[in-house]
Amino acid sequence: MDERLVARGLTRAPFGRFLLWLVPWAALLGVGLYAAYLCLAVGLNQTNMDNRFAFGLWIYLDLTVIALGAGAFFTGFLLYVMKRRELAAVINSAVVIGFICYSGAVAILAIDVGQPLRFWYTFWHPNVHSMLTEVTFCLTLYLTVLAIEYLPLVLRNRQLKTRPSMLVFEFELHKVMAVFALVGTFLSFFHQGSLGGLYGVLQGRPFAYRGSFLAWPSTFFLFILSAAAVGPSFVLATTWIVSKVSGRSLVKPAVFELLARVSGSLLLVYVLAKSVDTLVWINHTSFQLGVHPASFYAFAPFGTWALFTEIVLLGLVPALVLALPRSRRDSRLLVPAAFLACAGVAVNRFVMTVQTLALPTLAFDSFLSYTPSWQEVASFLAVVAYGVILYSLSFRYLNLFPQERELAAAPEV
Amino acid sequence: MFPWSPEFAWDATHIAFFGALYSVLATVALTLAVAAWRARRDAREGRAAAIAWHGDFHEMPASARACRHQLTGEAPGRVCENGFDCRHCAEHPHFEELRRHDATPDHADHFGFDLPLDRLYHRGHTWVRPEADGTLTVGLDDLARRLLGTPEKVELPRAGDRLEVNGPAGRVTTRGKEVRVLSPVEGTVVEVCGEGPSATLRVDPGGLSDLRHLLSGAEARAWALRELERLQRAIGSSELGAALADGGELVDDVGAALPRDRYDALLGDMLLEP
Repeated sequence: MDERLVARGLTRAPFGRFLLWLVPWAALLGVGLYAAYLCLAVGLNQTNMDNRFAFGLWIYLDLTVIALGAGAFFTGFLLYVMKRRELAAVINSAVVIGFICYSGAVAILAIDVGQPLRFWYTFWHPNVHSMLTEVTFCLTLYLTVLAIEYLPLVLRNRQLKTRPSMLVFEFELHKVMAVFALVGTFLSFFHQGSLGGLYGVLQGRPFAYRGSFLAWPSTFFLFILSAAAVGPSFVLATTWIVSKVSGRSLVKPAVFELLARVSGSLLLVYVLAKSVDTLVWINHTSFQLGVHPASFYAFAPFGTWALFTEIVLLGLVPALVLALPRSRRDSRLLVPAAFLACAGVAVNRFVMTVQTLALPTLAFDSFLSYTPSWQEVASFLAVVAYGVILYSLSFRYLNLFPQERELAAAPEV
Repeated sequence: MFPWSPEFAWDATHIAFFGALYSVLATVALTLAVAAWRARRDAREGRAAAIAWHGDFHEMPASARACRHQLTGEAPGRVCENGFDCRHCAEHPHFEELRRHDATPDHADHFGFDLPLDRLYHRGHTWVRPEADGTLTVGLDDLARRLLGTPEKVELPRAGDRLEVNGPAGRVTTRGKEVRVLSPVEGTVVEVCGEGPSATLRVDPGGLSDLRHLLSGAEARAWALRELERLQRAIGSSELGAALADGGELVDDVGAALPRDRYDALLGDMLLEP
């Protein structure tokens, strides 16, 4: 039925089965949109956040998807600036994933901040003392860049590319893509850093507060490094998932290996930097703030196991698997390691957001607990559903993996 | 803008911070505008066909972009980067010198399909025959005709239309699948003879025509063998492979023996429209 829209040489499921696949996701999106409407129309009392627990599920997941979405900027940087041509095999998928992650994060932020009709206030009346101003500017600008990077993929659709005006615009856009890759890298570095810096400057939250290096707290650099490290792992993991769900080979093993090598090397540097940062914080920063570091781990469920899990289990272990040539050539180790690396950044963002706010900071404070309301959960699941739907449509109608056609061809005779 | 914001101050930090962000915004907007302006210029100058071929060519796998000198052994493993237009290839003259020029047989060759050697061949399965009056006759080769079978619709250029090398020279719809045919030469169509896939075009090149990018003689035979190999790979072993492998005749309508989606891919592979 829609075969004229599917790229030549690509085999896709029958249209009916594709629609059936979309139905549950569309239902989830519908429920989430209703929850978002409640939050916007009735107010943030629909959530379980309050003045003391002001960052909840939304901010935690926003930070996580923004970190995972870094695969788009980093793959673009490696391809267009560092000229790693092998990554052309995954750049389209990385851009779509990046666009989904960032547009989803911006949508959730819009619900969280509220008053969507006043979105322009942040640009016209910026709070120049807030790191979030820089985050807002960079997020919206980078989302614009991602939309521009997404556009050529859409214009290369089998039907659209038959229109000369679309074709020439796609061609000229492609020629200037390196500029967008550079701009994306610049913006990503700054907003990933500012999101980390946001926690590092919280002097009233000794668990998150860090000393400054140059003008920024160490978390500024750790967030940049961790996002750049797991971005390629997320591209690898999502490519593997899409390959399994669709039952098709999408990229050559060498591409996975390169992504793993980049991710593993950066993750090793990150684990080293994070370990040094943690040691400085334990032995110096927390005492300077008058708090014994052991007191941070006295409240269940956040024991020292969380620190071990974050740095060793989900940091050092995947870093070694991805960085060592022998282990990364074994797909039974490579793929789980990529998933572990992604889980590592999710745990890091959880610790920085939820654990930071849950811990008492003053003598009369108590340990806070927070469970997200169904509206919070549903509106975030709507973003997941939106992501699955957009990616599914892109995978079906756009040529996301240029090597797929070649890999699908009959073996050499 | 910012002076209206109560917290804004004209100090170095604020100016640097907002200056950087607005510079990025200006860069994004300017780059986008440049791309749009260039696109408009390309459309005005009629470069759409060349751009379409550029995109198609680079979408093809390396195995489909083998250099002609790979086929004849002068440059093993070499992949073409010039859109099969050797006139713009700096290496082509060098490889031509290396090539051992076999005596070209004057009889028609047969590989399961006809390959008359009195003409020149384009990689997109069209042929060109220079005529005594300076015009060029252009047609689809036998392999392409057998691939296309009996088409529902054939759109050909009309007399007076301008053709460009690797630009479109027609569109064919067969078994519900549409594919364009590449022009092997540039010039003005002066006559369309016949109908359907057997139709030929007479083209006036407007002077001496440069046909260095086309294949002839031993090169054409090497290419035909390579195309047969590609066809064999594309259709697999179950349907038609045996007929090809044992030197038999290629069926008149290849599409009849293939599932729809594989036929579509095969048309794209062989007629160079991925």
